[in-house]
Amino acid sequence: MADDGAARQLDKEILSPKPGIQSPAEGGGDFQPRIVGFLCNWCSYAGADLAGVTRLKMPPSMVAIRVMCSSRVDPLFVLKAFLAGADGVLVAGCHPGDCHYQTGNYYTRRRFALTLKVLEELGLEANRVRLSWVSASEGGRFAEVVTEFTETIRKAGPNPAKTEVFL
Amino acid sequence: MAERIGVYVCKCGPNIGDKVDVDAIVDDVKGIEGVATAKSHNLLCSADGLEFLKSEIEGEKLTRVVVAACTPKMYEQKLMRACEEAGLNPFLMQMTNIREQCAWVTPDKALATRKARSLVMAAINRAPLLEPIERKEIEVQADVLVVGGGVAGLEACLSLAQKGRKVYLVEKSPCIGGLAARFEEVYPTMECAPCMIAPELQEVLQKENIEVFTHSEVEETLGSFGNFSVKIRRKARYVSEEACIGCGACFEPCPVEVSNEYDEGLSKRKAIYVPFAGALPNVPVIDKDNCKRFKGEECRACEQACPFGAISFDDKDEVIERKVGAIILATGATLLDPKALPQYGYGKLDNVVTALQLERLNASNGPTGGKVLLKNGKEPKSIAFVFCVGRKEKEYCSGICCMYSIKLAHIMREKLPDAKLYCFYSDICVPKKEHQQWYDRVVDQGVEFIRSNGTVAVTADKGKLAVKHGTDSSGKTVSVDMVVLAPAVEPSSDIEKLAGILDTSRDDHGFFCEEHALMKPFATALEGVFAVGSCQGPKDIGDAVAQAGAAAGRVLSRLVPGEKLALEPMVAVVDEDLCSGCKTCILLCPYSAITRDKEKGTSVVDEALCRGCGTCVAACPSGAITAKQFTREQILAEIKGVAK
Ligand code: FES
Repeated sequence: MADDGAARQLDKEILSPKPGIQSPAEGGGDFQPRIVGFLCNWCSYAGADLAGVTRLKMPPSMVAIRVMCSSRVDPLFVLKAFLAGADGVLVAGCHPGDCHYQTGNYYTRRRFALTLKVLEELGLEANRVRLSWVSASEGGRFAEVVTEFTETIRKAGPNPAKTEVFL
Repeated sequence: MAERIGVYVCKCGPNIGDKVDVDAIVDDVKGIEGVATAKSHNLLCSADGLEFLKSEIEGEKLTRVVVAACTPKMYEQKLMRACEEAGLNPFLMQMTNIREQCAWVTPDKALATRKARSLVMAAINRAPLLEPIERKEIEVQADVLVVGGGVAGLEACLSLAQKGRKVYLVEKSPCIGGLAARFEEVYPTMECAPCMIAPELQEVLQKENIEVFTHSEVEETLGSFGNFSVKIRRKARYVSEEACIGCGACFEPCPVEVSNEYDEGLSKRKAIYVPFAGALPNVPVIDKDNCKRFKGEECRACEQACPFGAISFDDKDEVIERKVGAIILATGATLLDPKALPQYGYGKLDNVVTALQLERLNASNGPTGGKVLLKNGKEPKSIAFVFCVGRKEKEYCSGICCMYSIKLAHIMREKLPDAKLYCFYSDICVPKKEHQQWYDRVVDQGVEFIRSNGTVAVTADKGKLAVKHGTDSSGKTVSVDMVVLAPAVEPSSDIEKLAGILDTSRDDHGFFCEEHALMKPFATALEGVFAVGSCQGPKDIGDAVAQAGAAAGRVLSRLVPGEKLALEPMVAVVDEDLCSGCKTCILLCPYSAITRDKEKGTSVVDEALCRGCGTCVAACPSGAITAKQFTREQILAEIKGVAK
C-alpha cells in the first residue's frame, strides 16, 4: 500500500484520541476485553481472514461484524455497542483511496471524528474506539491492530457503562 | 409465527473441530428461544454436508438457518444455493466465521470456544430479523452509444457490430477517424496511418447496424445501465449526405477563406469544406459562423456550383432520440496550447510549431502535400525537438510524446538527410517492447539528444531561432531553423460538458476517472458507462484500441439481447414516508444511484445502479434508508448478541 505509512500516521495522530482521559487499569490480569469490530467486507474482513489463513496469533477479544463498507457504520452502532457492554469498538476499512465503493471510507473518517466528539461529551474514554485502515493483504497488520487495541483496552479497564447508566 | 432456527456448526475436519469445543457450543445454544435444532457437522461444504443441510431445512421446517463455519467468502454462495434448493430464501441464512477469524488465530481452546460462542450468539440473535430478498432482473437494451469516432471509438463500434449489436456513433467533427487520420506515419510500425484506418472507417460507415452521426453531439442522457435514453443533436450540415457525391465543385466558388483548424491553422479553408483531403464521410459542411449567407449577405455561390442540388441553407439541427443499454466514451485528447508557456515563443515566433503541426506538414494530405517547409517556403536545415512541454505544469508524464517525437525525428532524418536534428529532453520514456530500439536507431542516425531538464527557452536570433538550455547564466545555446514542441496531452475540450451530462467524474487532470486503475481501467464508476482511449488518460493508438476492445467485450458479455440483467440484491431502499427530501444521500452516493422524485419530493434509489455500500444508509438523518441484508435492526441485534 503506497499510503500505508501515511494512513498509519493518520491513525496515530488524528484518529487515536489524545492521551489523558484514561481510567486507571482495573480488573488485573484476568480482565478479558470485549471488542466489537466493524469490518468492511472488501478489505478489512479479508485482511482478518488472511490473518487466520497465515495462522497468526491474536487475542480472542475482538468479534467481527461484517458490513459491506466501513461507511455503513452508523455512529449509533458504536454507541449501542458500548451500551451493550463492549469495552472497545474497532471500525476498520480499506485504505483511503482504496474503498471498494470509491469514496465510502472518506465519509467513515469524517463520521468517526464526529463520533469521537460525541463519546467525549458522554464522558466515555475516547481511546475505547479506534479507526484503522487494513487492506486485504495486510493480515499481519490486522493482527497487530487487534493486539495493540486489546492492550489499550486492557489498560483502560472494563467499560464503565456496563454498570453505570450514562444516557 | 415464531421462527424456527436451525444452527449448524461445522467442524471443518480438524480445522475447527480440534480448536473449538463445537459440541459444547451446540449444547449451549439448544435452549435459546427460536432455536429449533442445533447440530454439528464434520464438513458442511462437502456434497454430503450440503445434502444434510437441505434435509434439515425440509425435515425441521426451518425458517432461518445459522451456519458457523469458514469465512463467508469461501462457501456462502454454495450454502445459499443449498438453502434455495430446499425451498428457503437464501437470504434467510446467516453465516458466521469461526475458522479464519477464530479457530485459526486463537491457540487456547477455551478462549477460542468462548469467542466462537459469541460469534454464534450474534448470528442467532440476528437470524430472526433476516428478511427474504427476491433477486430482481430487468429487461435491457443491448444497443450501444459510442461517443467519439477516433481509433478507440471505431474499434468499439466494430467489435459490437460484429456481434449484431446496433451501435450509434456520435462524432462532433464532420468526419470520423480522429487524430490518427491526420498522421502520415505511426510508430512503431511506421505504417501509413490513413491506409491503416481506412478499412475500419469504410466498414463503420457501411455496416448496416452502425448508425453514424457526424457533426453531432450528445445533448442529454437519462436512465441507467441497461436502459439509457439519449438525445443526439445532429447539427445542420447544410449539405445533404444523401445527395452529395463529394465532387468538391462547391469549394472553388466560395469567396470566404479562414484558417483551417484541421491543418492546425497551417492552411486556409473555405466556409464550405471537408476537413482534409480523404476525410470520411466525404461530404462537405458549411461553417455557419463564417459563411456570408448566414451573415445576411446574398451569396449562393456553392449552391449554384453544386451539380446535384445537395446544398440546402434551410437545413435545421435535428434532435434524435435513441435507446441504448451502455455508453462508451471515446472522445480522445488534444495537446496543451503552448501559448500558455511563453518561454517557448509559440504563437509569437515564426517556425516554432507543435508536433501536430509538423504531422500536418509531413502529411501528404496536409497543407504542403508532405513537404516540410519554413514560413519562407524553404526547407529547414536544422530542427530542435523540445520534449516535455508543460509536463511540470500538468504534473503528469503524457507517456507518448517521447516516442512520437522520436518518430518525427526519424522521419525528418529521412526527409532532410543533411539537416541537423536535436532533441531536448528531460527524461526519455520509451517503455514498450519496440520503443527502445527506435530511440537507439535515431541516435545512430545522428540525432543529438541533449538533456535540458525543462530549462529550454526559445528566442528569435537573426532570422533563426536560438534554443537556450541549462539553468546557469552560462547556459548553452543552439541555433536552429525550426523548433517542434511536444506539449502535454490533455482531454479534448468537450469533456467537461459530457461529464456534466452523464454525471460521471473526472480526475485531477480532467480526464474521465476510471473505476479502478488496474482492474477496471476502462469503466467509469457509473455502471454501463465506459471511458476508453485518451479521454481516460494519454495513450498511444495500440493502448486506446485495446482498451476499447475490453469495454466492448464487457458490454457484449453483460448485455445480451433477450436476456435479462440480474441486479444486485442487497441494495438500499428509501422509505418515502420517512424521507424528508434533504438530499444528503444524493450528494454522497458514489454511483449517482439516487435521484429525487420531483413530485413526491423524496429520494429514489435506482436498483440498477446501487451497489449496496450503505454510505447513504448511515448518513440519512431521518433513518429513512434501509440497506437490504444490513438493516439497522439486524446489525443492532448482532451487536447485542456479541455481548450475550
Ligand atoms: S469497502 Fe472497505 S471501506 Fe469501503
